[in-house]
Amino acid sequence: MPYKLFDVSKDISERKEHTLVKHCQDPEDCLPKCNIKTVPGSMTERGCAFAGAKGVITGAIKDVAHVVHSPIGCTMYGYGSKRYPTTTEMPDGSTFPVKDFNIKYIIGTDLQESDVVFGGMKKLRQAVRETNKEFPFVTAIYLYATCTTGLIGDDMDAVAKEMQEELGKPVIAFNAPGFAGPSQSKGHHVGNHTLFDNLVGTTEPPAITPYDINLIGEYNIDGDLWLLKEYFNEIGINVLSTFTGDCSHNEIGWMHRAKLSVVRCQRSSTYIADLIEEKYGIPYIKTDFFSTEYCAKNLIAVAKFFGLEDKAKRVIAKRMAKVRSELEFYKEKLKGKKVFIFSGGPKSYHLSVPLENELGMETTGVSSMFEHEDGYEKMKSRVKEGGLVIDDPNTMELEELVEDYDIDLILGGVKEKYLVHKLGVPSLLIHSYENGPYIGFEGFLNLAKDMYSAIYNPVWNFVEFQETEDPDIKEEVTT
Amino acid sequence: MSVNIIKKERNAIINPLKTCQPLGAMYAVTGIRRAVPLVHGSQGCSTFVRYSLSRHFREPSEIAVTSLHEDAAVFGGRRNLVEGLQNVAIRLKPDLIGVITTCSSEIIGDDIIGFIRSAKDELKQKIGEAETEKIKIVPISTPSFVETHLKGYDNAIKALADHVAEPSEPNGKINIIPGMVNPGDVREIKHILRLMDVDGIILTDISDPFDSPLRPSTAEYKPYYPKGGTNVEEIVDSANSSGTISLTKYAGSGAVSLEKKYKVPAELGPIPIGVQNTDQFLRNLKKLTGNDVTDEILDERGLLIDSMADFASRYLHGRTVAIYGDPEITSGMARFVGELGMEPKLVLTGSNSQDFVKDVEKVAAETGAEIDTMVGQDLRAMEVYLKDNPVDLMIGNSDARLMAKEYGIPLVRVGFPVYDRVGYHRRPIVGYKGGIHLIDLITNTVLEKYYEHEHWKLQQ
Repeated sequence: MPYKLFDVSKDISERKEHTLVKHCQDPEDCLPKCNIKTVPGSMTERGCAFAGAKGVITGAIKDVAHVVHSPIGCTMYGYGSKRYPTTTEMPDGSTFPVKDFNIKYIIGTDLQESDVVFGGMKKLRQAVRETNKEFPFVTAIYLYATCTTGLIGDDMDAVAKEMQEELGKPVIAFNAPGFAGPSQSKGHHVGNHTLFDNLVGTTEPPAITPYDINLIGEYNIDGDLWLLKEYFNEIGINVLSTFTGDCSHNEIGWMHRAKLSVVRCQRSSTYIADLIEEKYGIPYIKTDFFSTEYCAKNLIAVAKFFGLEDKAKRVIAKRMAKVRSELEFYKEKLKGKKVFIFSGGPKSYHLSVPLENELGMETTGVSSMFEHEDGYEKMKSRVKEGGLVIDDPNTMELEELVEDYDIDLILGGVKEKYLVHKLGVPSLLIHSYENGPYIGFEGFLNLAKDMYSAIYNPVWNFVEFQETEDPDIKEEVTT
Repeated sequence: MSVNIIKKERNAIINPLKTCQPLGAMYAVTGIRRAVPLVHGSQGCSTFVRYSLSRHFREPSEIAVTSLHEDAAVFGGRRNLVEGLQNVAIRLKPDLIGVITTCSSEIIGDDIIGFIRSAKDELKQKIGEAETEKIKIVPISTPSFVETHLKGYDNAIKALADHVAEPSEPNGKINIIPGMVNPGDVREIKHILRLMDVDGIILTDISDPFDSPLRPSTAEYKPYYPKGGTNVEEIVDSANSSGTISLTKYAGSGAVSLEKKYKVPAELGPIPIGVQNTDQFLRNLKKLTGNDVTDEILDERGLLIDSMADFASRYLHGRTVAIYGDPEITSGMARFVGELGMEPKLVLTGSNSQDFVKDVEKVAAETGAEIDTMVGQDLRAMEVYLKDNPVDLMIGNSDARLMAKEYGIPLVRVGFPVYDRVGYHRRPIVGYKGGIHLIDLITNTVLEKYYEHEHWKLQQ
């Protein structure tokens, strides 16, 4: 049987089908069950649809004000919590007045009991007007439904329409209340469709070139986008629109003018690439830019579309020359180390093979909070015989995994990191990184460095008190 | 010497200084030994809180959720809660489960007490009556659309007093409700209790759970429970104590409940930040126990006084400060800043409380300062204010870090959350030792910002 039930989950046996142990002879369609509701009380690591919409898709846009229609909690939790910096550079050459505006400000309606009883639409309208007064320079105002407003039935779209007319600037409602769908993935879906329906095809770029791409699903976590953009620029490919890292509201409007869509985060944003292809006939390719091999391969694939392969090869050679020898050093150090990847989604298949091929590590398994079947197909195809592919693992399963599989390092999120440390195992942040960027050539080197400093952190040599001094001199970190 | 209340000019909140009730309740339940907070709501309700707590304390924050979805919105969350409770009970074998509601479960109108009863009935079939009864299941109502996280904390402590505390024999102990403070603060309170020879019951004790040793050889795994926390038996016994001191009057309902039901005398606030508030805490302890204030503790007081005498007039006097955050900590800090001869220019809290205004009026009377005060306001209001009314120093959480940087005002980090520096959760701001820590921190910040460029002035 390809499925495994962790001992700690024996009382919630429905978990069994969510944990696949890869056996190469098993049929290909044998995948972990996914994208269905979590077992209540199982200590899931999943989030909600609001998090998927605001936290992932729209929160990275530089020039819009976000109004969360909620009791105070959702607003507070949408505030400056993610590491996606923005510049003040606007595509038309002008300057947006506030750097990192997306991280710096959040607006909320702070719903009270009386609003729950009588409805909150009046308050929402007022909040939108006040937002426009406070930040008149924003290009657009985005509104977010939450559990409360979903349940009391506030008509967000009606308010958005009315306010857009009144203020004369785009006001857009995102209807992804927290309870919608089994995970944050539902919010990605709503975010994509809402932006496509409302924006794409509504603006024209200041200029176009024959080499324009949409870079989709790149949110500029810890500066990933800025690095990736350097590569494209050097090759001669123009990133016309980014969806949505460090992008401007209007950029999304002219995504229909690109020649090619390049999809980076395939879970959260293939939707819009599909929609654009369908309506405007713009093809897209799904890409991997994590690690040197994938990055090189995919830069060439994108360049090939434009006949720029030779330039791409030169750019790749130049970047590789920068990182090669250092990567060799880390490969030597990381060789044989067992790693488990618990990412939100795609990084679990972006990284599993490169960590093995390029850094000599052993990928014990991968998991995701919210992937769908297509993502798990890729994960499964990229782990070795006996490798684990787990959907929505819970805390106790994580503990059992660390114990049973002798893991050297877990790549996970903030919620997991400190627990994993308590188990005596190093862990590093793969959602928002430790010392990123992690993408591309230099980014992969940063990741290798961070993994090395996590595993070889001297602290792991003296976790417990020894009655007599340990005569073995352990290797220490050298920088 | 007056307080000028600056009215809120907007209805919308921009950059909040508060969050919703459930966080406070999850924080409180984490302070109980082998307890699991179970949030009856959407997954964001647990995930966002876990994220918030983990990034501040840099510790695990294990919280269960009933994962409400569309079907629950239509048909109610009965199945989710009944199943969720059983799964937590069977797999995690906790001593206590705090069932924490949210906006969604409150709006749906779920009958929490009834659902808990059903879950217990089903549990008895599965694990037997004795095992089921071992687990205390405490309903904690925390509608997110009422007040703030502090109210959620207050509701959780009150739920413990109402559902867990049981009268038996007097125990001569003192219950302490610390409020939403840091592990370092709770440890300092325990230190003071030891010096005063007082046995305390901390309701609840987050000091170890949120600052826990990494010692695999002694830790409890599968499930991981952090070291420490208040034992359930101690909470049961809290009905028999000689008194309850809530270090915050903003979360004193548990103390009031214990007084009403079990005649345990209650003292509410102030938080022992600075000299006079700590003095008051000691007098309260003495009043409730009859124990004298010991020499040892008065020596600690003397160390704080010595630092104040040494640094305050030379470096701190007259410097203006903007203080923001939770009401108790903010008003406590304002009083301490006044004791240092500094001038609290703006004192700002996110919660809507008239008590806060009274506290600030007291500071104004003591210091003779003109204090601008904002109640129920947000960080954007502070940003706008500081543009025209610059101050020498800001004191508050990490959320104003970008503003501080932009305005060039040094920020002394106090309160929750602090995520852009380390160690702040570990060092106390309460008690005389907390005062010493704060005066060092404040003074060094002033030296770096205002003296460093004329380095000779730093010479003794």
